[in-house]
Amino acid sequence: MDPRESFTIAARSIRSHKLRSTLTVIGVVIGIASVVTFATFGASVQAEVVGGIADSGANNVYVLGQPADEEGFQQALQPVFTEYDLDRLAEIDGVEAVVPRGTIPINAVTHRGDTVALQQATATTPEAVTDETLVAGRSFERGANETVLNRAAAEATFEENVTVGDEITVDRADETWTLTVVGIVNGTAGELPVGNFGPQPGLYVPADPFYESVVESPNANARLRAYPQATVISDPASTLAVTDAVETYLQERSDARQLAPDGVELVARTSGDFAEQISDVIDQITRFVTGIAVIALVVGAIGIANIMLVSVTERTREIGIMKAVGARNRDVMELFLLEATLLGAGGALLGLPLGLAVAWGATRYAEVGFAFAPVWSALAVLVGVLVGVAAGLYPAWRAARVDPIDALRYE
Amino acid sequence: MAQADADDVVTLSEVRKTYDLGGVVEALAGVSLSLPRGSYTAVMGPSGSGKSTLLNLVGGLDTATEGTVTVGGRDLSAATEGERAAIRGSRVGFVFQTFNLMPRLTAVENVAMPLVFDGWGRTERRERARDLLADVGLGERLDHRPTELSGGQRQRVAIARALAPDPELILADEPTGNVDTETGERIMSLLDDLHAAGNTVLLVTHERRIAAHAERIVHVRDGAIERIEELSD
Repeated sequence: MDPRESFTIAARSIRSHKLRSTLTVIGVVIGIASVVTFATFGASVQAEVVGGIADSGANNVYVLGQPADEEGFQQALQPVFTEYDLDRLAEIDGVEAVVPRGTIPINAVTHRGDTVALQQATATTPEAVTDETLVAGRSFERGANETVLNRAAAEATFEENVTVGDEITVDRADETWTLTVVGIVNGTAGELPVGNFGPQPGLYVPADPFYESVVESPNANARLRAYPQATVISDPASTLAVTDAVETYLQERSDARQLAPDGVELVARTSGDFAEQISDVIDQITRFVTGIAVIALVVGAIGIANIMLVSVTERTREIGIMKAVGARNRDVMELFLLEATLLGAGGALLGLPLGLAVAWGATRYAEVGFAFAPVWSALAVLVGVLVGVAAGLYPAWRAARVDPIDALRYE
Repeated sequence: MAQADADDVVTLSEVRKTYDLGGVVEALAGVSLSLPRGSYTAVMGPSGSGKSTLLNLVGGLDTATEGTVTVGGRDLSAATEGERAAIRGSRVGFVFQTFNLMPRLTAVENVAMPLVFDGWGRTERRERARDLLADVGLGERLDHRPTELSGGQRQRVAIARALAPDPELILADEPTGNVDTETGERIMSLLDDLHAAGNTVLLVTHERRIAAHAERIVHVRDGAIERIEELSD
């Protein structure tokens, strides 16, 4: 039959039950809006985080050990990268600096009589503090009783702000260090691009003399400092070549290779690799949460099916009349299916902007940039239509099967 | 015994219809009847005599258990559901006791409805419906809904709807059953006019006064034809 006429008839029967149709559509709107909200918010967070990683240290090659059987990034805690390894890595063409990173357990830090508990200090080399990261002062020197604090430690930890030139006391289990603050930094070079979301107070000290993790180097035949992680800062033009060379060195003849316990794989990662991994994780979370939102959509679909079944019963007589004047089973089926589809599509078209609006609000609240997910949005509308079709199939089939003789007698 | 004749609009040959309602109920027990083109036949009988079943079979709403029903040369027992729908929509026009108009559609839309399923264009449909409503005297009530019309007016809309596809046969099932006597007479004179204009009419009623409008009365009882009474004007 004339599709325009089918549309008119279907739209008219939706309009003739305004409240009922509205409530049914609201069910679908909630479902579609939830899906769109979570998908869009997930995409926004992903874009923000991945963008942040890509921006920071694109020329960094992170050297670390990770469990061989795990996909995700795990910070390996074994100190396997010896000073011998670090020296060899620094000799690779295109390498500008090698910044190792180790942790020193501490108990508390005191500044002008104000003592604050702090669990660890970071041992590294002076190269970790660069002009780009310095807010005030300079980097510490090798072998000096000096320290560099990050802004969280300098400005938000002690009663009085710490300034360059101040002295702080670090309490450890069996000793106390008195250190001069020589610099305040905003992050450090070669920092891993993960795990730094909150402004944690950070205390950086020269590995020499404070770092104590020492192992027997198989290559040097001497006891050398060893770190769980190091970052090779490369010339931006040769990051890829450096990554390969670092990886080759690690696999072939490094101390780390001989010191790493079974099941730990030594890897050289760029920030792009991290971006990809984190992107995957956020993707999985988004999919999971969106999957939960799909439940709302299913409830919406049941609403459509329910109301369509009521509608078929109510309009049994009309179905009989239509059949008596020449409607085929197919025509009747088409009309009811179209009506259900219109309800689903209406819900999708209203739910999409609502979902986007809520997602936009959420991104404002979470202070991340809003990223529109066009595929998800198109999918939401498509799913709305499909939900209508699926929910309408059984009722429409019931309508098509109505016996006109019974229907015409039906009051 | 009715013989198939090229000029018969409807031919029933040894038609049986049984319903299985816990036990087998025989609604029609071997009925043979033919309706010549342009004839006006009334089927009369008490309720339960099988007259409505006869009408439903001729109208293609139901199928015979045995025997053949031919409408306009087409054997309905061999037709698919879709073909029977097409026959209902284009070859026969129903007029029901309870009018059976679509409550949400206007008079014009109701009359145009069979044409929707018959594949007419929108403009032609409306034009045809307007003309037919004018013919039955409802030219001023085109956009009224059934609830805004009197019983007599509703039945006239239904008659206009039956005429819409220019059918070969008009089937009227107790068309005056839900209106007062005076209105009923006006509806019957409308059917008389349709017959005079050359239409074939099959009327089902239990009232002698109504049946008397036809050229002949087929008396049915217990699913069989009791006698056929020819009336002279």
